[in-house]
Amino acid sequence: MATNDQLQVIIENLRSAVPELRGVIVATTDGLAIAHSLSSGDANRIAAMVATALGLGKRICDTIGGGALSETSFSGATGQVYVYAGGAKGVLGVLAGPGSNVGLIHLEARDAAGKIQQILG
Amino acid sequence: MNSPVKLVISGPVGAGKTTFIQTLSDSPVVSTDEEASEDIGKAMTTVALDFGTLNVEDYPIYLFGTPGQERFDFMWEVLCEGAYGLILLIAGDRPRDFPQARRILEFITTQTPIPFLIAVTRQDMEQVWTPEEVSEYFGVDPSLACGLDARDQQSAYETLFRMFELINASASEQVA
Repeated sequence: MATNDQLQVIIENLRSAVPELRGVIVATTDGLAIAHSLSSGDANRIAAMVATALGLGKRICDTIGGGALSETSFSGATGQVYVYAGGAKGVLGVLAGPGSNVGLIHLEARDAAGKIQQILG
Repeated sequence: MNSPVKLVISGPVGAGKTTFIQTLSDSPVVSTDEEASEDIGKAMTTVALDFGTLNVEDYPIYLFGTPGQERFDFMWEVLCEGAYGLILLIAGDRPRDFPQARRILEFITTQTPIPFLIAVTRQDMEQVWTPEEVSEYFGVDPSLACGLDARDQQSAYETLFRMFELINASASEQVA
């Protein structure tokens, strides 16, 4: 199966496991969208933003002696985004509404991020 | 100690923004380099920002470098908040990047009207646009463009001081 198809399967599985998600995106660490399923919003823009968040998060983690960054998140009054490192080359962005089950999101998304790491190497 | 002077370093991919900040900074530069997945003529690219500091006389100078690609334009906006000046780096031997440089300049100066200096790098290459030619391309006064070797401390300082002159000139204009 082609890389994009494999990633699309991971994205669809994540969306079915956590149906309240608003969107899922896989991007390169330099901010290019590879695969996504978004209810709204511009994939290219979101890809660039999650890569920026991950890149900055890595440096913050590094500076405070936190080691390799695994995830970071942003929560607003009406939405939230979780950003996971998918190995050295990938980043997984998960968009959710307010009041989502954060425990379930983390459980499923961390698993997905591990698979993305294997695919992107 | 005076309050810090914030400067933004922007320009297209590969102009030398990260190098320029590394040359000037007295503190270890905070970089957010990631592996480039496009063919941009180099292995790594900035995705969030570069941050370096130095002191000139009693002034702490904060240098904020932006990513070059248009998809990161939200960072141009974020980093320009509260900036005193913009140094736009542009590789003089890569005229195909000039339109992108113009877009960055227009994007930033329409949102944040701050003094800017166009620093034309790679002046040691054989076929290269001079600062005068570049200022003509941008339709700005030749005094707003200078040559720069981003690797060379002397040259980097000259660019920095030229930027300060422009900031001072603009400040006294506003007073008058």
